[in-house]
Amino acid sequence: MDGGARMTVVHYLNQFFAGLGAEEAADQEPVRLDGPQGPGRGLAAAGIAPDVTLACGDDYFGEHEADAMATLLGWLDELHPDVLICGPSFGSGRYGYACGVLAREAGRAGVPVVAAMTPDSPGVLAAEGAAYIVPTGSNVAAMREALPVVASLAQRLAAGEPVGDAESEGYLPRGLRVNVLSERTGAERAIGLLLAKLAGDVRTEVEPRGDRVPPPAPVADLAVTKVALVTEAGCVPQGNPDRLPTRHSNVWLRYPIADVDSLDPDAYESVHAGFDTTSANADPNRLVPLDAARALEHARAFGALHDVFYTTSGVDTPVATAARHGQEIAADLRAAKVGAVILTGT
Amino acid sequence: MFITALPTIAQMVGANRVLRGVSITHPTGDPSLAAGDEHDLRVGIVRRALDMLTVEVEPGTVWELDG
Repeated sequence: MDGGARMTVVHYLNQFFAGLGAEEAADQEPVRLDGPQGPGRGLAAAGIAPDVTLACGDDYFGEHEADAMATLLGWLDELHPDVLICGPSFGSGRYGYACGVLAREAGRAGVPVVAAMTPDSPGVLAAEGAAYIVPTGSNVAAMREALPVVASLAQRLAAGEPVGDAESEGYLPRGLRVNVLSERTGAERAIGLLLAKLAGDVRTEVEPRGDRVPPPAPVADLAVTKVALVTEAGCVPQGNPDRLPTRHSNVWLRYPIADVDSLDPDAYESVHAGFDTTSANADPNRLVPLDAARALEHARAFGALHDVFYTTSGVDTPVATAARHGQEIAADLRAAKVGAVILTGT
Repeated sequence: MFITALPTIAQMVGANRVLRGVSITHPTGDPSLAAGDEHDLRVGIVRRALDMLTVEVEPGTVWELDG
């Protein structure tokens, strides 16, 4: 860009940060607003003012992705931005995912993109390396630290200036192979890594991807199979007696349901902080389908329902913690000779 | 198997048997239905979940409720 040339900056926000409402507005259809909104004003103060703000409800995006994306990409096509900024979405799952998908598709259409979210956000995977993603803390307290880094990257991308590597610039590695000339040979670097590891400093030049488990073989005979209900929707007895955290949970819990045929709204609730729990609290079977499972058990559709259900709040959870929860619950299920699991999530 | 209204995220993290739930806020229910109809819907959802458990699938398979 030559000096003084006008830049077009577009900013994507969810309904909350765009000032359109909180969870009750999560079904907001995409909307186009003039100038900076919410954190966009912070970007302006940091030197890069959005000309247009695009906003969409988190639930709307998640449940109508194709429609939302068609609308958003159509606007980006008209606006032809020099840079798109998504978020910061911090620890939000749905908002992070929306930012990641938009980043990926805008990137494919040739728009430089900067986003900001926690490293464990599903948006990082969804972006598939298309965006420069600034890692942030879990919540809006991290806004002040994130905005200047976002602004700095966005300004340079919009101006077509070069951006350095992930570690020095403070964005997440994008998983792209870039050829660089190293001063040391591969053999020297490998020995260097090994010596560092022996000294307790574990580093890598290549990040491993997540593990994949092949699909288990189908259940051979449902009639003799014990089925268990597990949820990450934060369903707990009314009053949350064991204080399941509402987000970033480091624990999972288990509750007896041997004599329970249905999750009564007076007896159960959801404490999950990541979605509007109004309809779930009116009927918790909408999260953990116990009444239906019990009816099918009586109809002998399967052998037996396990006498406990498992619950945690799956929001803003580090991947390593979630993996540990899965392994621990699986061990419990195996010990109880459970043959199949119905896991429900939001 | 996993019932969720965000099946793409489930696929991204490696879930293999995924059934698309009704909605983010009520994956196994629908408050717009009368109570009896909603219960029938939920029984249908759990039946579909059980079906999914009994078939071979490719990695990252997503089923819709109406299949």
